[in-house]
Amino acid sequence: MSVDRGEERKVEFLGGASVDGAPVAYVIVLAAVVLALSFIPFSVVVAAGGSFPMAQGILPLVGWILGPIAGAIANVVGTALAIFLAPHTASIPVMNIVGAIIAGLAAGSMVTDGPRKRWWIPISVVLVISWLLYVGRGILVNGVGLWPAFAQSFIDWSGTLLFILPTRVLVGKWLKSKNMGLVAAGLFLGTWIVAGAYHAVQSPIAYWVLNFPEEVWYILIPILPVEHLFRCLIGTVIGTGVIAGLRAIGLVKPKHAIY
Amino acid sequence: MAMMKFQTVERDSFFTKLDFRPKLLMMTVISIVAFVWENPIMEATLAILIIVSCLLVGVRWGYIRTVLLIMSPFYVILLLTHGFFNVDQVKTVLGIQQLKPMFAIPKNWWLIGGGTMSWEGFFYGINIIFKTLCLTLIIPLGIFTTEVDNMIVGMVRSRIPYKIAFIFSSTLRFFPLLFQEIQNIIEAQRLRGLAMEKMGPVKRVRVYSKVAIPLILGAMVKSQQLEVVLQSKAFSGDSDRTYIHQSILRWLDWVLIVFFLVFFVVSLVLYIWFGIGRFFSPV
Amino acid sequence: MAKKIAVIDNISYMYPRSENFVLDRISLDIYGGEFLGLIGPTGAGKTTLCLALNGIVPQFYGGRFYGSVQIAGLDTLHYPISKLARYVGEVFEDPETQLVATSVQNEIAFAMENLKFHREEILARIPEVLAAVRLEGTELKHPAELSGGQKQRLAIAAALAVQPDLLVLDEPTSQLDPVGAEEVFATVRELNRNLGKTIVMVSHAAEEMAEFVDRLAFLSHGRLIACGKPEEIYSDIELLTRNDLRPPQVASTFYLINQKTNCKVTDVPVRLDEGKNAIVKIAKMAEFDLSSPLPEPPKYSGSPLFSVKDLKYVYHDGTEALRNISLDICEGEYVLIIGQNGAGKSTLVKHFLHLLSPTSGTVTVAGKDLEKYTVGDLARRIGYIAQNPDYQIFNATVEEEISFALKNLEFPAEIVKERTEFSLESMGLTQFRNRHPLSLPKGDRARVVIAAILAMEPEIIIFDEPTTGQDYRGARYILDLSRQLHKMGKTVIVITHHLYLMPEYAERVIVMGKGTILMDGPIRDVYHQTELLGSTFLTPPQAVLLSQELGKLNGHLCPFLTPEELSDRVVIKERQV
Repeated sequence: MSVDRGEERKVEFLGGASVDGAPVAYVIVLAAVVLALSFIPFSVVVAAGGSFPMAQGILPLVGWILGPIAGAIANVVGTALAIFLAPHTASIPVMNIVGAIIAGLAAGSMVTDGPRKRWWIPISVVLVISWLLYVGRGILVNGVGLWPAFAQSFIDWSGTLLFILPTRVLVGKWLKSKNMGLVAAGLFLGTWIVAGAYHAVQSPIAYWVLNFPEEVWYILIPILPVEHLFRCLIGTVIGTGVIAGLRAIGLVKPKHAIY
Repeated sequence: MAMMKFQTVERDSFFTKLDFRPKLLMMTVISIVAFVWENPIMEATLAILIIVSCLLVGVRWGYIRTVLLIMSPFYVILLLTHGFFNVDQVKTVLGIQQLKPMFAIPKNWWLIGGGTMSWEGFFYGINIIFKTLCLTLIIPLGIFTTEVDNMIVGMVRSRIPYKIAFIFSSTLRFFPLLFQEIQNIIEAQRLRGLAMEKMGPVKRVRVYSKVAIPLILGAMVKSQQLEVVLQSKAFSGDSDRTYIHQSILRWLDWVLIVFFLVFFVVSLVLYIWFGIGRFFSPV
Repeated sequence: MAKKIAVIDNISYMYPRSENFVLDRISLDIYGGEFLGLIGPTGAGKTTLCLALNGIVPQFYGGRFYGSVQIAGLDTLHYPISKLARYVGEVFEDPETQLVATSVQNEIAFAMENLKFHREEILARIPEVLAAVRLEGTELKHPAELSGGQKQRLAIAAALAVQPDLLVLDEPTSQLDPVGAEEVFATVRELNRNLGKTIVMVSHAAEEMAEFVDRLAFLSHGRLIACGKPEEIYSDIELLTRNDLRPPQVASTFYLINQKTNCKVTDVPVRLDEGKNAIVKIAKMAEFDLSSPLPEPPKYSGSPLFSVKDLKYVYHDGTEALRNISLDICEGEYVLIIGQNGAGKSTLVKHFLHLLSPTSGTVTVAGKDLEKYTVGDLARRIGYIAQNPDYQIFNATVEEEISFALKNLEFPAEIVKERTEFSLESMGLTQFRNRHPLSLPKGDRARVVIAAILAMEPEIIIFDEPTTGQDYRGARYILDLSRQLHKMGKTVIVITHHLYLMPEYAERVIVMGKGTILMDGPIRDVYHQTELLGSTFLTPPQAVLLSQELGKLNGHLCPFLTPEELSDRVVIKERQV
C-alpha cells in the first residue's frame, strides 16, 4: 500500500476547546441531558409516595463519563438551568446546586492511580464535616436522640464511609471492567456512594432551612433508604446501557473518564 | 414547546435595563440573608418585598400563584409539624420552659388526640415558609428579567470563563431538542407494547429508566458532531473574543451594587452582634 | 482561468484506530466562483474531504495524513482550525446540531465574535447575510421557531458572515422536506450565480445537482474516480451503477432507450429540459408500443383494517392538524403517504396507533372503535418504525433488543425464544445476535428495529420516513425489507419524501396537504396528477414528466412511472433520412 503517497505528515492539534480534557460539546450535551431529565418525575411508590426527578439517578454517571471537573460543571449547569426555567421545582435552590457539584467531583475522583488519586481526601473532609454539621446540630442543638440521628442519616454516612474506604477504588476498577456484570455492580455500589455523598452535603443545608423536629427524623428513617435504593437502581440500569453503548460506538473518550 | 426559553417578563422596567451583575449580587445576598435569618416577621417582610418587586417588574401573578399553589401542601405540613412537634428545639432557641398553646386536639380523638399546637412552633413554621419563599422567588426576580445574551456577557464580565458561560447558553439551546427526543423515545417504548401502568414499581423503574439510554447515547453521538461544528466556527473557548451584546455598568447598577453590599454587611453585623434576625415569637 | 481557491495535493488519510484509507491519493483544485458538486455513495469519503478543507481532518480527529491541502495559500496542517475558519465556511447535514446560539443574530455573530471582528462590523453584516438567504427580520427569533429549510439557510448565512473564500455544504438538504430542499438549492444557486461565491456541495439529489453544478467530483472508496462536467459524469450510467450511485432519471431513461433499441438514438441528457428536447427528437424517429399492458395494482376487498370517517384533530394550542379525513385501508395493501412536513401525515398515523384520539370523527381498527384499544393492544397488531431507529434501541445486544418487548409483555419463555429466533433469521441478523446494536451500521440498526417489531407478529407495519438521510443503496435496502414484509402478507404503510423510489413498491398513494387528503388512488393515477402534486410542492419523478411530454406529442396517454417502463415501449422505425 505504499504507492506514491509521499511522506506521512506530522499531525498536530493546534488549539481547541476542552474542559479539563473533556470536549466542550460533551459537557454541553450532558448538561442538557441533566436538564431534560430534571423534568421527568420519577414517581416511586414508596410509603410516602415520594417523587424525584430522573436527573438525580444520572448525576454520578455524568461524573464517570466526563471526569470530576467537567462532570461537576455539566451537573451544575444542568441543575441550575432547571431551577432557572422552573424555580418552583426547587424549594431550596442552593441545595440542589451544591449536591450537583459534589456528585460530579466525587464520582470523577474514584480513580485508582495518577495525579488525582488523592482528590478523595478533601472531598471526604467536606462530606464528614457536612455529616457532623447535620447530625451534630440535630443532637446538640435540637435534642434529637442518638439512635434516630444515626438511623435517619444512614445513606449519608454509609455513602461517606464507603467513599473513604477502598470501596471507592473498587468501584473505579469495576466500572472499567470488560465484564458487564461487574460494571453493573460498580454502578450500583458507585451510585450508592455518590448519591449518598451528595445527599450528605445537602442534608445540613435542608436542615438549616427546615429545622424539622425529631418526629420527622423518625418518619424519614424508612423512606430515605428506599428512595436511595431506587436511585441506585436507576443509576445501574441507565449506566450499564450507556456504558455498553459508549463502548460499542467507540466515541473519543474524555481524558479523565472512568468506564 | 413552552419550556423552551426562560419566562421573560414583557414589561420594560428599570429592572430589565439593569446589568446582570447587580442582579447576580442581589440573588446571592438575599439568599444568604434569608438563609441566616430566623425572625418570622423579618422573613415575611423580605418575602413580601420580593413578591411585590416581582409583580412590579412584570412577573405574572399567575406564575406566583402557581408557585404558592404547588408549595402550599408543603407549607401546611411545615406548619403542622412545627406547631405540634417542635417543642424542645423552640424551647432551647428561646430559652423558655413552657410554650404557649394555640389550641389542643380533644384527648378522645384517635391517634392524634392530645396534641397541642404551640404559638412558638407555629411562628417557627411561618419563619421557614417565608424563608423558602424568599429563596425560591428571588430567582424569577433576577432571571426572568434578564435576556440570556445579557446573562452570558454579565457572566463573562464577572470573570466567569467564557467557556463556562458558553456551556450555559448552549445547554439552553440543546435542551428543547433532547426534551423532544424524550417524548419520541417514550412513544417508541409504548409502541413496543410497554404499558407502564400495569407494572410493579421495580419493573417500572427498570423499564422507564431505559428511556435515558438512547437519549444519552444519541446525545453523545451528536456531541461529536457539535464539536466539529464549533471548531469550524472558530470556537476556541478563549474569553478573548468580541461580543455583540454589551454589558455596561451604569450609575443605577452601581447604586444597587453598593446597596446590596451594605445591606449584606449590616444585616450580618446586626444578626451576629445584636441578635436582630434571630427567632422570636410575636405571641 | 479563474484563481485557485483550494489546492488538494495527493492527500491520503486514515482515521485513528482504523486500517483503511478513507481518502486515498486525492488531488483536486477548486477554482474561484465555481460550483463544485461532490458525489459518491455513503462511506466514499465525501464528508472527510469536506472536513479536510478546513483542517478539522486531521487536526481534530488525529490519524495518519499524507499530502497537503492549501486554502488561500495556507497549509491546513500549519494553522489552527480557528484561523482556517476565516477562509472556509462549513454547513452540515443536521439542521439542529449546527445551530449553537439562542437567537438568529447570535448565531450569525458567533463565528465573527470568535474571530474578533469589531462589534460595529458584526452588527452591519447581520442584515446583509440575512438578506442574502432571504431571512430578513428574523434576527431575534429562536432557532426552534424556524422551519427546517430556514434553519439550513440560517446556517448558510452564519457561514457567509465571515466572508469565506469557500463555502462547503455537506448534504444540506438530506434532512429536509421537498419545500425545504428547494429553498436551500435556490439559495445556494443565487449565492453562486449572483454573488460569485465559490461552492463545494455534497448531495445525493442527482436531479438537482445536474441542474446546478459546474463540475462534479465523484468519490468511491476514498478514490477520486472521475471529475468533470455533470453531462460527462451523470451520463456514464455504468460507472454510476457500478458505484451504487443513482443517476438522474432523465439520464437513465435515455440510456435505457439507447440500450434497448440497440442504437444511439441521442446523447444521454442529464437535465430535464434537455430530456424534453430529446423526447421530441425521438418522437420523430420512433414509435411507441402502447399496446402491451401496464401492471395493474391488485384489488383489495373485504372489511377494512383501518377505517377513518370525518376525522378532525385539533392540537391543544388550537392548531387544526387534520380535517375531513375519510379513508379505508384493507388487509394486505401497500400504501404510500406523501406531503410536506406539517401536512398531517404523522398526525394521521398516530391516530392508527392511538397515540392521539380524534377531536371529532371516528377511527376503527379491525372493525372496532379506536377508543376500545390501549396503545399496548395496538402495538401488538401494528409495528411502527420511527425515522431514527436509534430511538428504539434500548438494549445491549441484538438478541436482547428483539426479545425486550416480548419479555415485558410476559410471553412464555419458549414463545419468546421461538419468535426471537424467527425474527433474527428472517432479518438475517443471526450472526450479529451478541453484538451491541449501536456497533452496527445504520442500515443494519434499522434492521434490528424491524426485527424487534416483527417479533411481536404485527399485521401492519408503518415506516415513518425510512429513507431520510439514507443514500440510494441504504434507502433501497430498507424498502426491499418492506417489500419482503408485504410478501409475508403484512399491510405496509410508508411515509417518505422520495417519490422516485416508490413505483417499484407502493400500490396506492395518499397525498396530504394542510391537514386534508388531496388525493387518494393507485400510484399510476396519482403520480400523473402533476398539477395537483405541484400545488403542494411535490415534484413527480422525471420519468413521469418525460412520459407526459411524450403523451402531449403523440396524443396518447402515457402513464409510465419509471425509466424502465418508458424505455421498454420505444420502438425505432425504419431509419428516415
